Amino acid sequence: MANTSNLRVAVIGGGPGGYAAAFLAADLGMKVTLIDPEVNPGGVCLYRGCIPSKALLHVAKLLEEAEQARNWGIEFGEPKVDLNKLRGWKESIVKKLTGGLGQLSKQHSIQFVQGKAAFVNATTLKVTKTAAAGEENLTFDRIIIATGSRPTVVPSLKLDSPRVMDSTGALDLPDIPKTLLVIGGGYIGLELGSVYATLGTKVTVVEMLSGLLPGADRDLVLPLHKRLERLFAAILLNTTVKSLKDEKTGIRVTLDGPNVKEKEKEQVFERVLMSVGRRPNSEIPGLDTTKVKVNQKGFIEINEQRQTAEPTIYAIGDVAGEPMLAHKAMHEGRTAAEAIAGHKVAFEPNAIPAVVFTDPEIAWAGLTETQAKEQGREITVAKFPWAASGRAITLDRPEGLTKLLIDPKTERVLGVGIVGAGAGELIAEGVLAIEMCALAADVGMTIHPHPTLSETMMEAAEVFYGQATDIYRPKR
Amino acid sequence: MSREFKLPELGENIESGDLVRLMIKPGASISEGEPVMELETDKAVVEVPSSVTGTVGEIRVKEGDKLRVGQVIFTVENGTGAVAPSAPVQAAAKPAALTGDASTKSVPPAPGPAPLVAQQPARAASPSRPSTSTGGGEFKLPELGENIDSGDLVRLMIAPGATVSEGQPVMELETDKAVVEVPSSVSGVVRAIQVKEGQKVKVGEVIFTLEGGAVAQAQPARSHEPVEHMSGQQGARLAFQLAMRAEGKTEEQALPPDQPHPESQPFSMPVQLGKVAGMDHDPIPAAPHVRRLAREIGVNIRSVLGSGPGGRIGEEDVKQCAKNALMQAAVAAQTPRGAFVEPELPDFAKWGKTERVSMRGVRRKTAEHLRQAWNTIPHVTQQDRADITELEQLRAKFAPRAEEAGGKMTVTAIALKVCASALKVFPQFNASIDMGKEEIIYKQYINIGVAVDTDRGLLVPVIRDVDKKNIVELAAEMTQLSKKARDRKLTIEEMEGGTFTITNLGGIGGTGFSPIVNHPEVAILGISRSRMEPEWVQVKDKFEPRLILPLSLSYDHRLIDGADAARFLRWIAEAFEQPFLLSVQG
Repeated sequence: MANTSNLRVAVIGGGPGGYAAAFLAADLGMKVTLIDPEVNPGGVCLYRGCIPSKALLHVAKLLEEAEQARNWGIEFGEPKVDLNKLRGWKESIVKKLTGGLGQLSKQHSIQFVQGKAAFVNATTLKVTKTAAAGEENLTFDRIIIATGSRPTVVPSLKLDSPRVMDSTGALDLPDIPKTLLVIGGGYIGLELGSVYATLGTKVTVVEMLSGLLPGADRDLVLPLHKRLERLFAAILLNTTVKSLKDEKTGIRVTLDGPNVKEKEKEQVFERVLMSVGRRPNSEIPGLDTTKVKVNQKGFIEINEQRQTAEPTIYAIGDVAGEPMLAHKAMHEGRTAAEAIAGHKVAFEPNAIPAVVFTDPEIAWAGLTETQAKEQGREITVAKFPWAASGRAITLDRPEGLTKLLIDPKTERVLGVGIVGAGAGELIAEGVLAIEMCALAADVGMTIHPHPTLSETMMEAAEVFYGQATDIYRPKR
Repeated sequence: MSREFKLPELGENIESGDLVRLMIKPGASISEGEPVMELETDKAVVEVPSSVTGTVGEIRVKEGDKLRVGQVIFTVENGTGAVAPSAPVQAAAKPAALTGDASTKSVPPAPGPAPLVAQQPARAASPSRPSTSTGGGEFKLPELGENIDSGDLVRLMIAPGATVSEGQPVMELETDKAVVEVPSSVSGVVRAIQVKEGQKVKVGEVIFTLEGGAVAQAQPARSHEPVEHMSGQQGARLAFQLAMRAEGKTEEQALPPDQPHPESQPFSMPVQLGKVAGMDHDPIPAAPHVRRLAREIGVNIRSVLGSGPGGRIGEEDVKQCAKNALMQAAVAAQTPRGAFVEPELPDFAKWGKTERVSMRGVRRKTAEHLRQAWNTIPHVTQQDRADITELEQLRAKFAPRAEEAGGKMTVTAIALKVCASALKVFPQFNASIDMGKEEIIYKQYINIGVAVDTDRGLLVPVIRDVDKKNIVELAAEMTQLSKKARDRKLTIEEMEGGTFTITNLGGIGGTGFSPIVNHPEVAILGISRSRMEPEWVQVKDKFEPRLILPLSLSYDHRLIDGADAARFLRWIAEAFEQPFLLSVQG
């Protein structure tokens, strides 16, 4: 194996993929330079994504439960929201975590450069530092591109108004508007819509397709949809936004679709959240001087080792392909670092979990029923409804569902889908089961703590054999 | 009723043999166990006993024929043979003492040290044994013996589309007890094979199905006993395991980190748009650390058959797969391979300046040719020395004559004459091997190439009909060809058709070397520098200064045995020592 101790590696982008790659590369003995425009590593995930949204969603959940507590004989009265304090708390979390990453970078002896990078050639970067004026050309042996993604703007709806926000703007929490239109029924729109709705905003969601969360199995989406119908002012499916117009009182929106009533066709919203997707940040200056290939959707093309067509350049995370998820980027970052070190590695997970942090949460991993149908693959679906879970009843959240997708021949667990409170935490067991190629019997015969929601995994496996304890489902 | 006696299985990898001697005549009575012929196989001469009793009808073969397993040897009239036409294999070849008397009625129990086919211990064949085949045109694994209900499929001997006949071995199975060869109980054309090598196969499991579903099953009740033997693979595996144990290594350590990749994958761009990575293919039934192990030891995880529940691949499965690949590679290495994989070079520039020059013409041709020769020929080099004190005096004396003829009376010129004479006495050194046809080609002409060092590289002009020319003529021709070689005037024809080669480095020095045989020739003589050495002269009871010429003969061990090479080189040495021999024997 080649001696990698003196390899100079640059990582462009300090998000979860970038810092995971940088830290491991440093651990493997390489000289690492991490370049990011922010003061500290963290990227979109920590500054403008996963982390701040989760802080706000925690608040949303608390408000929801406080409201629900009336049913249990507990009343708190109307909540008072101190927006400055809430924003401050959120920002303190971001600062704490990103500061921690800055510390970790120092401990790893990583040279963190606050600035931007452009390619001069396959091994040289022109780095513009934020603090100092001027540019500097730095040469490396390997470069990892981890520039992530940014919110997409629909060109026809582009409107330069502070009332039109993307996810970044929404997370800044400028105010609690009376009305909010969320364009796009994906996970970002639903998560942020939930936050604003629980804070008191009347939220309307429009989705072009026939259902929320396209790509997720419908039986998982249904309980969420039902709950959101109560939380939101309206959910308009099969609906498109024709135009946005900035007016004094708000944004005048023209909607079109079979479900839109005549009087709803034109409405004024105080604010609009555009959450129609994200696009990869592959427009790096000078990238065209290298052999790196960018496909039509803007993703950098890579092989199993995350290496681009230019042998010295690797790409990971959102910029390198779907799914655009931080945990996928982190695993890719580690794969790239090891590949550079000459280890025989490949990015080949059997399952990448996806989590929607709404309430209830939706999480899935591995094969979905939708995919199985598309592939014409024979599977057996074993479902355990949470109505039969003691723990779910004590939480007053019986709407959940845990299901296993099982290969009827081998009895292997190929996919797991969960909807319900805390599904995002529960899915990890499903990912492990898939990666370890567990059989339904393995999951069923593993003792799960009682009373917990995790039991639903075990019981779903028992359903497969027609022998569940807490529900009667005879074997077909 | 007429029955046929077919050539039974003789042992592993023996498909045919040459009929050396027939011991029966039409009309003769023959009884089961009586030897009927002597057959020469690759491994030994075996006496083949009859598996039928009756009167010999028609004999369908004659001495000198090449016989194939399953071929009809003779028919039997009034046969009462209790044995199926296609004899059970264990009743087959017994190593024959070549002195075996044809009239001996009973074959003595095989005393041979290495029986071709180990005798199958008589197993209590249970009468309630299930049929080994169903009528549905498939072959199921038959009972293998008491308490054996499964085995690991080591080797498949059939492929879809192949014709399989009853009694023909179809696979090697490794059970707890031994490796057994399992014969088919059905005849027909194989349609689909339901098992894979490396897989565990259970008794009763369908091994393959037949086209059309027609089953020609003679006696369903009677199954062919599997033949137990030590296969080459089994031997190799045992040797491998023993070697590992001896070195105190774990299997992992013993497995080389780099397995030859059958398909080396260049840079490939996966289509991953809109797809969840990992889900565009069937998920691999192996835990992440098992997948990593496979990658590290160079095993394609998709080619590994999982032995765990639901086909789960464990570490052991990966190691087994690597071991199998290793065995196959070892077997493949024994046969000459067309494609040679160049090992990777390090980056030399890391250690200093380098220059790259394209390898053209003679150098490239030499490199290709010598590599091919080296890879094809199992080389052995025999060393000897010749006392040329007397020859040297003669050489000096006759040198002017050669010069008159326009040549130089060199050691090489004399060596040409000596070798030509030697090649006449030892024709196998003037031959080539045709492995494809399994034939030896003896050449009735003697053309000797002489390696000439030129500024372009090594060239080998060939002198024709060396045996028909005298030394003076040879010296002249040699001088002429050497000059042509150095002047780049040699034609291709002048470098073709050699039957033997001489390479003389004596002009430079050295005490001996290992020349590489100039394929497709089978031997090459290397000559080093002669020097005065103290030689013990027995008759005078003292050392005397003698001029000694070191000789190195490299030869193709496939064709030439060591003893022959020693004799050949000794003959050459003696011819140098006593030039008179040439005129007597040469």
